[in-house]
Amino acid sequence: MNCSELIRYWRRACFFAGSMVCLVFIISLFSGLSTVYAADPAQDSGAGVVEEQQRAEKGSGETGSDQSAAGEKPSDEYDNVTEEQVDSGEGPRIADPLEPWNRAIYYFNDKVYFWALKPAAQGYKYVLPEGIRGLVSSFYQNVRAPIRIVNNLLQGELGYAGIELAKLLINSTVGVGGLRDCATECFNIKGRDTDFGQTLGKYGMGHGFYLVWPFLGASSARDSVGWGVDWSLKPTTYLGGSEWINPENAGLYVHEAVNTTSFRIGDYEALKEAAIDPYLAIRDAYIQYREKMLK
Amino acid sequence: MKKRISELILIIMLMVPFNVLAGIPLDTVKTNVNSVIEAMRDPKLKGEAGKKVKEQRIVVIADKMFDFVELSKRTLGLNWNKFTPEQRKEFVALFKTILKDAYIDKITAYTDEKVNFTKETPLSETTIEVQSVVATKNAQVPIYYRVIKKDSDWKVYDVVIEGVSLISNYRTQFREILGNNPPETLLETLRKKVGKK
Repeated sequence: MNCSELIRYWRRACFFAGSMVCLVFIISLFSGLSTVYAADPAQDSGAGVVEEQQRAEKGSGETGSDQSAAGEKPSDEYDNVTEEQVDSGEGPRIADPLEPWNRAIYYFNDKVYFWALKPAAQGYKYVLPEGIRGLVSSFYQNVRAPIRIVNNLLQGELGYAGIELAKLLINSTVGVGGLRDCATECFNIKGRDTDFGQTLGKYGMGHGFYLVWPFLGASSARDSVGWGVDWSLKPTTYLGGSEWINPENAGLYVHEAVNTTSFRIGDYEALKEAAIDPYLAIRDAYIQYREKMLK
Repeated sequence: MKKRISELILIIMLMVPFNVLAGIPLDTVKTNVNSVIEAMRDPKLKGEAGKKVKEQRIVVIADKMFDFVELSKRTLGLNWNKFTPEQRKEFVALFKTILKDAYIDKITAYTDEKVNFTKETPLSETTIEVQSVVATKNAQVPIYYRVIKKDSDWKVYDVVIEGVSLISNYRTQFREILGNNPPETLLETLRKKVGKK
């Protein structure tokens, strides 16, 4: 198999991936799955609110009898809890109808991380000093500026759109083509990171459902569409020609991933170590993180 | 000049009571975090033996800083009520060990990141969120501590990193197990996890 054939296969694969994104988007639009639904207390307890209140009243009554039963010092900290006492633990949730499929892809990505991405990032980190890797990461941040400008505009954040535009101009000139984030370092200009997934969220669109992509990782139906739009806003996308995905921009994407990972070796391992079920831990962290960015 | 100084002192004195009332949760968390940083920076503690001492110190501070029973209750939610008192005690102990095992390496990996405490926001009558930002070389990581008033002390019951709440994250995982299984199954899962270490 020669090189041009490989590229043709790759393009076909990318076309397929692109159609999948569209398909998923359409499905999510019509399925009417509202995603991040508010906590459903009944699911946790199988009891309604009224019953909960009764239990609360009963609970406070029980405290006294417990104390007399235990011969030791009165300790009610292990007593029953009521809804109000513990509701703060409830975070946003996301529908996951494709869970078996998502888990399989998660398992695949886990292997990709340990077998390819991590060794690559470790070697890369060994060869390149931190300063240079920092320049690279600033460069990629600067390349994403159009995404931030357009989406701030779309979200009605005109001020931040202007600030991001100013940052782009400063960093591309004084910051030598974006190699340094001079806008932040020299002038203390703070921008606002955002993306098209959030723009959709701002206009009231839910996540649809949770979706894990091979190589790309955690996402949702909504945010997958967001990725597609943001990808087309990045200047580097058009480096290798007019194709939406080509060897040049895919290569840059991989480099960016390796560079980013070189700063974060150990983070995923720690998360996995801390989790009882890493798949659920990541799904929950993803949805919590995305919700927080919307606020 | 003297008059001006006494005026200044008067103004400061007038300001003090408000600050005292407002700043206690933040100061409590800050003091604990600073003592962890102090332990990390101790030049006498080096190598493997030094790391052991550091870990012990962190455990002592964590015991003072966190309310693990409150944290466990909020993580389990109403499922807590399905546990017997003995199971509750065992759960708290196991969960504490898991958190310790998971985060102690991250904490001892601390080098020279700067921690800035920014503000506190009330969440309810007895709970407050203390906000801090950890500045690493490459990023600013917001870390919020949620504290609850217990007697006269403020204890941490949740840590929110980059918007991700610790107790919510575990609640999602525990809910899945407790959905179809008795509390004993969850305890067994946790025992196995602790045993592996």
